[in-house]
Amino acid sequence: MVTARRAEPRLHLRLYIAGNAPNSLLAVANAKSLCEEHFAERHVLEIVDLLEQPLRALADAIIVTPTLLKLAPLPAYRVIGNLNDRKQVLLTLSTNDE
Amino acid sequence: MSSELLSSGALERRLAEADATIAALLSGQIDAVIDPRTSTPLLLSAAQSALRESEERYRHIVETTHEGIWTLDADTVVTFVNQRLADLMGYAPDEMVGQSVFEFFPEFFSAPGAPGVPHLQRGHAEEEAVAVSRRDGSKMWALIKTRPICDTNGKYVGILAMMTDWTRHRDAEEALRRNEEQYRQIVETTTDGIVKVDASACIVFTNRRFAEMLGYEPNDIIGMHISEFSSEDAPPGAPAALLSHRPGEKNAFDTSYRRCDGTLVSVNIASVGLFDEGGLCCGSLAVVRDVTNQRRLQSQLMVSDRMASVGTLAAGVAHEINNPLTALIGNLEYINECMASTAGDLKDVYATGRSMRATIPEPLQDAIEAAQRIRFIVHDLKMFSRAPVDVKGSAVDVIAIMESSLRMAWNEIRHRAQLVKEFSPVAFVDASEARLGQVFLNLIMNAAQAIPEGHADENHIRVGIEQTGARVTIAVHDTGAGIPPENIGRVFDAFFTTKAVGIGTGLGLAICHRIVTDIGGELTVESLEGRGTTFCVSLPASECLALDAPTGVALRGGTGRRGRVLIVDDEEILLRLLSRSLASDHDVVALSSGKDALALCAKGERFDMILCDLMMPEMTGMDLCSELARVAPEQADRMVFMTGGAFTARARAFLDASEHPCVEKPFERATVLAILERHILRSPSGDGPA
Repeated sequence: MVTARRAEPRLHLRLYIAGNAPNSLLAVANAKSLCEEHFAERHVLEIVDLLEQPLRALADAIIVTPTLLKLAPLPAYRVIGNLNDRKQVLLTLSTNDE
Repeated sequence: MSSELLSSGALERRLAEADATIAALLSGQIDAVIDPRTSTPLLLSAAQSALRESEERYRHIVETTHEGIWTLDADTVVTFVNQRLADLMGYAPDEMVGQSVFEFFPEFFSAPGAPGVPHLQRGHAEEEAVAVSRRDGSKMWALIKTRPICDTNGKYVGILAMMTDWTRHRDAEEALRRNEEQYRQIVETTTDGIVKVDASACIVFTNRRFAEMLGYEPNDIIGMHISEFSSEDAPPGAPAALLSHRPGEKNAFDTSYRRCDGTLVSVNIASVGLFDEGGLCCGSLAVVRDVTNQRRLQSQLMVSDRMASVGTLAAGVAHEINNPLTALIGNLEYINECMASTAGDLKDVYATGRSMRATIPEPLQDAIEAAQRIRFIVHDLKMFSRAPVDVKGSAVDVIAIMESSLRMAWNEIRHRAQLVKEFSPVAFVDASEARLGQVFLNLIMNAAQAIPEGHADENHIRVGIEQTGARVTIAVHDTGAGIPPENIGRVFDAFFTTKAVGIGTGLGLAICHRIVTDIGGELTVESLEGRGTTFCVSLPASECLALDAPTGVALRGGTGRRGRVLIVDDEEILLRLLSRSLASDHDVVALSSGKDALALCAKGERFDMILCDLMMPEMTGMDLCSELARVAPEQADRMVFMTGGAFTARARAFLDASEHPCVEKPFERATVLAILERHILRSPSGDGPA
């Protein structure tokens, strides 16, 4: 079990939002609860508010908020929208090439 | 290869992302779009959701409002209805949309004069309560508000209309109207006058009855001040009395108002003050009842009661008259017999004369005395039967009236009690003789009836008259049954009586109380049950001296000159008597008709005195007088009237106005002689009239 756990790769997520806009708040809540439920202690969720840090959108070529980036494990994915379709989101996040 | 594959995979991913972005955008999951040139996020969501919310809000309002809402296009085709309107009309919304509005509201849009479409096209909003028919044919009152819809260029493109179910409102209005109508009918058909005045006592409302009572048109009376109707007879401060109220206090008083034509109307007023929220008096509402007839009936009732008293006493009075009448007739018959028995023996003149001197004087004296007694009784009766017009009264002698009353009631008293009279000399009082007599008679009768018959020596009725200061007090005390304490407060109430039905009207003391109060006096009662009762009348003493000084003081001796007298009376006995008694000293012509007398004077006959009965059939004394004034004015001045006391209103007015002497029957020879002497003295000295 310990070995198995160690073998699990770390999930790295970045969520771009726009302040307190309703879909952004929904996306934050959905992302947090998904991670808590399915990736408990082996995830990193980074939340970037573009109203505060607009220039960071440039690096990841973000064109709308909310956008969730799956950075690791590969393949990288981006999910657009408020993450209400949790089943689909979970499927995407669980895709693992490694 | 790998790059190709990679790039192909990347492209696929980018396309998938673009799809996802568009889908998210369309489903409203996007908050902001990032401008790639400036990296500035453009917030979409605020504007979008605000619009959506606003739309939601309006939809909510439109669908939940109590008003039916619908829109028409420029061709009056229904383009939208809300659920409420469809419900009100009994349709489903999609049954109405697309139809012409005239299908549903023909009355509203096409009735002549109704607010139609052309009107709306000019841009006027309308509001109208109309009856509309539902799908099932039932009628509904609806308030329809319409306003034109114009596009941004101001061009008319249709109508927005709202409809409210007005049926309940209409019913409430109808109920209110009916209610008001009911109150108006009550106010207008009541037999009492109703008047409302403002704080300055000006009339702000009256019903028709109040206006009629005062002889005005209802519209003319509005705005008049209540004091414009006040009369001098009204108690002072009566107009103010309509206003001087505290909240909740009711006020009732009697007064009299002057009508438009100057006549007076007696009214009873019940008023209540009107107050604003601050408790300030803002007027008064009064119910005014015309009691003129009631007052008249009251005074008639007083006379009736007096007559009833006399009626009750009639048997007693007849008895009083019968005694002296027996003596009178008996003595006269005795004298007549004496005369007849001596008439046959005319040869012995001396013996006849002596016999007559011995036998006649005593019975003759008795006959005269008996006749005098009858005269008093008749005088007393006359006092009580006076017409009700002499209410003004003058200074009258209380003791004389009491004596008369006691004589009237004597038959009631003597079987029950001993009469004790304690009369001190007192001043005259201002009153009507008849009414005061009615009071005394009532009190005496009550005293007598309180005592059972048969123990006259054990009971007494004490009548006291005395004066203290400016008041004359008359007390009537009896040793009768007394009045139980529970009844003493009611003895002056009208119709209160403890006597059996048919005995007494229960009005006597109530009327006494009113009579006494009317002349400024007081009537009080004290009673000990089983010991007796005292009624006490206290009257203000008159400031006048007695006017009714005894007249007809005979001139002893006279002028000694023979006069010429014409006597006119339809009563033959009186004619013969007067001829007999005057013939020794004067020349007498006796006629039984006024016409004959007039004819005689017209022929030139002249008299020192014409003694004429006032009331005669055919030509009355008054007629003769006025005819003589035309034919022989000098003779008219010499008329002296005789009257038995049965006055008509005309006779009373005539006597009040004329300066002719009037002698009341029965009169004494001396009275007539005295007047005749005065007339002879007025005649030219020498041998008198031709």
